Amino acid sequence: MFRYYLKLGLLSLRRNPILSGLMVVAIATGIGACMTIVNIDYVMSGNPIPHRSELLYYVQLDNWDPNEAARGVNDPPPQVTYIDGTALIAAKNARRQVLSYPTTRIIQPEEDGQLPFLVDSRSTTADFFPMFDTPFLYGSGWDSTADDNHEYAVVINKEINERLFAGQDSVGRLILMNGDRYRISGVLDTWEPTPKFYDVNNRAFGKAEEVYFPFSVSIDKELTSEGNTNCWKAPAGNGFESFLTSECVWMQLWVELHNAGERQEYMAFLDAYVESQKLLGRFPRPVNNRLNDVMDWMQHEEVVEDDVQVLLGLAVLFLVVCLLNTIGLLLAKIMRRSGDISLRRALGASRKAIFSQYIVEAGIIGLAGGVLGIAMTWLGLQGIRGLYGDFDFITRLVTMDWVMIFVAIGLAILSALGAALYPTWRACGIQPASQLSTL
Amino acid sequence: MLTMQNVSMVYRTESVETHALRDFSLEVDEGEFVSVTGPSGSGKTTFLNIAGLLEEFTSGTYKLDGKDTNSLGDTERSRLRNEKIGFIFQSFNLIPELDIFDNVDVPLRYRGFNAAERKRRIDHVIDMVGLGSRKKHLPSQLSGGQQQRVAIARALAGEPRFLLADEPTGNLDSEMAESVMQLLEDINSKGTTIIMVTHEPNLAARAKRNIFVRDGRISTGEPELQVAVGG
Amino acid sequence: MELGPIWRALIRNKSSYILIALQIAATMALMVNAVSIIQERTRMMSRSSGTDEANIFQIYSMSFDPAQDYQAMVAADLDAIRGFPGVANAVVTNSLPLRQGGWSQDLKTEPGTDNEGSGVAIYFVDEHGVDTFGLNLVAGRNFEVTDVSWFDPDAGPRWPGLVIITEAMATELFPDARPADTVGKTAYIDNDIPVTIIGVLEKMQAPWKDWAGVERSMLVPMKRGDGFARYVIRAEPGYRDELIPQIEQMLAERDTGRVVDGAATMTEIRANAYLEDSAMIKLLVFIVSLLTAITSLGIVGLASFSVARRTKQIGTRRALGAPKAAILRYFMLENFLISSVGVVSGAVIAVGLNMWMVQRFNLTPISWYIIPVAMIALWLVGQCAVYGPARRASLVSPAIATRSV
Repeated sequence: MFRYYLKLGLLSLRRNPILSGLMVVAIATGIGACMTIVNIDYVMSGNPIPHRSELLYYVQLDNWDPNEAARGVNDPPPQVTYIDGTALIAAKNARRQVLSYPTTRIIQPEEDGQLPFLVDSRSTTADFFPMFDTPFLYGSGWDSTADDNHEYAVVINKEINERLFAGQDSVGRLILMNGDRYRISGVLDTWEPTPKFYDVNNRAFGKAEEVYFPFSVSIDKELTSEGNTNCWKAPAGNGFESFLTSECVWMQLWVELHNAGERQEYMAFLDAYVESQKLLGRFPRPVNNRLNDVMDWMQHEEVVEDDVQVLLGLAVLFLVVCLLNTIGLLLAKIMRRSGDISLRRALGASRKAIFSQYIVEAGIIGLAGGVLGIAMTWLGLQGIRGLYGDFDFITRLVTMDWVMIFVAIGLAILSALGAALYPTWRACGIQPASQLSTL
Repeated sequence: MLTMQNVSMVYRTESVETHALRDFSLEVDEGEFVSVTGPSGSGKTTFLNIAGLLEEFTSGTYKLDGKDTNSLGDTERSRLRNEKIGFIFQSFNLIPELDIFDNVDVPLRYRGFNAAERKRRIDHVIDMVGLGSRKKHLPSQLSGGQQQRVAIARALAGEPRFLLADEPTGNLDSEMAESVMQLLEDINSKGTTIIMVTHEPNLAARAKRNIFVRDGRISTGEPELQVAVGG
Repeated sequence: MELGPIWRALIRNKSSYILIALQIAATMALMVNAVSIIQERTRMMSRSSGTDEANIFQIYSMSFDPAQDYQAMVAADLDAIRGFPGVANAVVTNSLPLRQGGWSQDLKTEPGTDNEGSGVAIYFVDEHGVDTFGLNLVAGRNFEVTDVSWFDPDAGPRWPGLVIITEAMATELFPDARPADTVGKTAYIDNDIPVTIIGVLEKMQAPWKDWAGVERSMLVPMKRGDGFARYVIRAEPGYRDELIPQIEQMLAERDTGRVVDGAATMTEIRANAYLEDSAMIKLLVFIVSLLTAITSLGIVGLASFSVARRTKQIGTRRALGAPKAAILRYFMLENFLISSVGVVSGAVIAVGLNMWMVQRFNLTPISWYIIPVAMIALWLVGQCAVYGPARRASLVSPAIATRSV
């Protein structure tokens, strides 16, 4: 019977090829537009480190202006001061802790003919690599003793290794950066967490840094942050020393805690720390410390751009219009064939039979629309990429993974059924022979 | 009233020429009740279409109320249909989405009467066909006989000079057919010219004049007999 | 005129018409909000930065030789750039309008920590700053050579005592005074360090395009001599593009202990700053056009079905005396009614959607006139879309009426 309905459906679709085409294209366009934006939203709000995201906590302390919160109603500043960051790292009260900030360095290749070039770098403590589970091509991160001893250690990424050492294992070799030689402890494999969760203050969808070196060395070199620095109170003097002891926030502190108990203990430790600082005349605001795990922090920082959410809303509306379009056309088509339907009913077709016949016809349209819709999604993503040019983060947003392909197929099927059900239901309601005598 | 002289109608397709009417000549006077009979395919409907200005013909002349229709454009023909001719169709041709009142209203709208005039006329003709209590009903809520009465009311509302009826009782049972025929006779007695196409000899017999069409011409043979054969 | 019966016929056969009306309503809601966003972004993008954008570019130099005397290097670089043929003027500074990164601080009218300040974007320049950026000084005076100092991390004052501010900042600080009259007044930075306003600029945008205080900027007569120097250069008209590689090469050759990079014209900086906005505009225009196309094709399809379904009825109307024009008008009017239901409900949905978006995303509320304009546009789209099927309907022969089913 199904094959009979399939034949009838195809026959009916072939009778109005333009209209059938229009219905398919309408569904496909709706799904394409919707899925393009859903996909971008999905990548933007994705979990950049799924297996560890619940163990990693971002630390916020409220050292801000007594008269005014750093952000919003009572949100602590999004970064920490040098004093607090280094004190909390030194206390080692979490399983792991990492303090880092973005910098820029110049690599001076010692091969003949290669010119010095700028690299995005990150000044960080040693736990960065095991905590964020960075993939290594060669070697590993440096040991925490290197932090303590202010050693000139460095981790470079795959591209830099390619550029300087033609992709060979360069562990143990030296590179010259801003006049100093650093020993390579490891070479990172391709690693682009999206969003760049460990530092969303400075371009949440920026590229991961190319070079990593010890925080202690960076401070020795008097390097300030390439990212945001916010102060509610001017440093006491002009020099780097007074900047370090100021209330300016400019670095990110992450800690690793494995369960609710550890989290609670660490929170108590933070509160106690702030209380002790209050005795020294700092922290004029009430105690207001925060610990957010990765996904909560992404949520809190609203890394998904407003534009994308606005577009998402509009794209959903777009899909609705496309579906209404198809429902309307299918309905009109079925109503026009009510004579045919009532004749079939008079000839003994049950309501169920009519339902099956038309749901198959509508299903064909929906399915074709869905398949074409997935193709349109791909086109849409290419279009977005073209629109934003070589703006690197967008390029990484326009990939489609299996999850999204399944979501697209699901949405296509749902849309098709949604579009098919009402007209089919109306077809079932046509009485046998009611149409035979009138126009 | 209506004069056709040597009217011919030829339908051409790529391979076939069909002569629906050949040198058809007919004169109908004011107040006549003429029936047109003939076997199916004889040209009855073509004659009706041409008489009703629904279709143009290939050659000959057709004067309606003294006016030569050959030279008229669509707008003028539409106006003539609207003002001078009332149509009654075999399958009533009521508009299913409109109620009785609005159905009768259709030709009056095109006539351009004001609302009060239209209402007066609609009420008058609906009462005349005895459906005064059904004005807000939809066609699907009426019986076949009632629907045809609505169609007659619609045809009469514009006070046409003549009525063209195409198998007016073809879709009705005999009792309803009889009441429709009585209504037509009644209308004719008040002076409206009627041309009725039918294939039923006993209905045709009630007209004052019978015309028998065969192969696109008026036949001079025995109409009753021919009809019985052509069925 | 015929609206009554057309409307009554419509509501007896409502489901497909409701669908098309809903479709028009949703199209309208989307169109109105998209146009509103497009307007907002276009307005943003059309704001002037206050600078001579066509002729300005930046280049920066980053030294890796720790032994370098940076002050001497910057001073020599500036002399070399200013003397370069085709260069109108040049300055060493920290940022540019639209660069999306810079320095801002609070400025107060009374000293002390307890009173509120107003954020202002700070550009560190020397006496060439006003001319290099191509700014319009409307009151007071420019800095003189003697006003400009080098930032010294170890000694000297943190802030020079003189500043030039924009009119917007002047009004922000002294709402009751005319901007030109703020020359000579004192404001406080870092809570209690006094600075005297010596000049007022007509306009100079802050580096952050999305900042509410984007028109509030301040020039401070100070040069920073450290490893990183950002040079802003104004070319003589027509020389900009050829100057960039020449200056790059000249700077690189003058001192090999550095990387010269970051060359970008103001035009590029602007395009980069508004990349997402212009992409958003293009996307929305595309979505709205596509949607309008789909909706009008839907109207064509539905009207075609409706004409086909009612062929006999049309023939009957023709037989009863309807001229072709009346049939055409019938379908046009029918579409007008459906569209009217659509655009009126669309207006309601559009406003509702906008209110939600305004609250959720801080968008600008729609301007009232977009609604009637969109209504008329969709009415027209509907009428154009239905014209084809309606014309086909008017060509139905009246002889259809006598044809048996």
